[in-house]
Amino acid sequence: MTFLSKLGTNFNYVISTLLFVIGLYTIITKPNLIKKFMGLNIMETSVFLAIVSIGAVRDGKAPIVESATKVQYVNPLPQALILTGIVVAVSTTALALSLMIKLYEQCGTLNADKLKEFE
Amino acid sequence: MVWHLDLVLLLFLVATAIGVYRTKDLLGAAIIFSAYSLTMAIVWQQLSAPDLALTEAAVGAGVTTVLFLITISRTTRREDD
Amino acid sequence: MNKKVQNYFVLIVMLLCWAVFLFAVAEMPLMGDPGNITNTHVVPRYLEKGVEEGGAPNIVTGIILNYRGYDTSGEVTVIFTALIGVLAVLKRENIKKDKSLVEISPVKTSVIVTTVVKFLTPLIILFAIYMILHGDVSPGGGFQGGAITGGSIIAFTLTFGLLATMRKFRLSIRIPLESSAVLAFIASGLVAMFFGLPFLTFLIPGFGFHTQELIRHALFIIIEIGIGVATGIIFASIFAAMGKVSKE
Repeated sequence: MTFLSKLGTNFNYVISTLLFVIGLYTIITKPNLIKKFMGLNIMETSVFLAIVSIGAVRDGKAPIVESATKVQYVNPLPQALILTGIVVAVSTTALALSLMIKLYEQCGTLNADKLKEFE
Repeated sequence: MVWHLDLVLLLFLVATAIGVYRTKDLLGAAIIFSAYSLTMAIVWQQLSAPDLALTEAAVGAGVTTVLFLITISRTTRREDD
Repeated sequence: MNKKVQNYFVLIVMLLCWAVFLFAVAEMPLMGDPGNITNTHVVPRYLEKGVEEGGAPNIVTGIILNYRGYDTSGEVTVIFTALIGVLAVLKRENIKKDKSLVEISPVKTSVIVTTVVKFLTPLIILFAIYMILHGDVSPGGGFQGGAITGGSIIAFTLTFGLLATMRKFRLSIRIPLESSAVLAFIASGLVAMFFGLPFLTFLIPGFGFHTQELIRHALFIIIEIGIGVATGIIFASIFAAMGKVSKE
């Protein structure tokens, strides 16, 4: 199988890595802290997309067993892990944003370059 | 398998992520981020993960966006300061 | 170095990074293949015996509550800790002194928004309750229902202001409910220890088959209700702490 056709089959991973790189680029180059955190959220969801895609099965049904007949289900384990991950992600976002509110009350800026001058 | 829909959704994810990067107005960026989360919820429905789709639609598009909005309204809307 | 040049340099590094990722992606097992190593190790057991062992037709709920119970109990502690962190940084709202951004805003909320939110909030909360209680046989569960509850409370607060909402969800009610997830989890886990079994065992031997199933189902419902209520109230409390504006 050639390189490109493999990438075509694994297209979810390609998009997931691209989103990871975009999020990392946002974190590195944008000075604003809120923007940095949006980039971090994009990185988080890209990792979630990669992990859920690992468990995907072609024509698989959602893992809810309704009858005893043999049906091809998708992998439920990554879904259970990512479900906890999403809620932890929003918890960290809330904590970081409340710290930003306090920081703005104290310093009057959220620009990381300007915050260097405060000591 | 409706792979055309998957392709469009995944490309839309990349477009919204670049939109979040390029938007100078933080309020607009937060709203584009909400669209990103909602698209992610549909992607998860396409990957047969209904539990994740429900959580992402409520948490990602709802709660996270509102927290971003409340932070922007209490601090600043422009990216430079 | 100029800022713009620096950004271009970072962009080149990121693209190189992506190229490396692409080679890794091409080496990964093909997506969607049922014979992948991730789908053959423990997962067939989960899918075949998950209904009897896990105790829920929705295998994801079974994994979250039963197979990976320790993981979930850690996670409910994480969101509780996040609430404590937010409250340590920003104080809790004071109904007498503080106002929300909606109340000090010069723009009046439109009648359409007020009516729609007033009409929809009970329905959304009803849907969330259905999702919490029905989480083991259909998509849903504690976290999903809790997030929906929190979202509807936040929408109500954004429309009617902090005062109207917090008069309905008073602090004396919210403080015990915030810890209900952790408490429900620990209490349900301790039930097994009375019978000399490890922590978080739900299937207690020594009863008849149907009584066993009934006890396990009751423990699951207690945990789901605890997680759902706590998640919703914690999101509402975080929002109230962040959205308040002190008067002075």
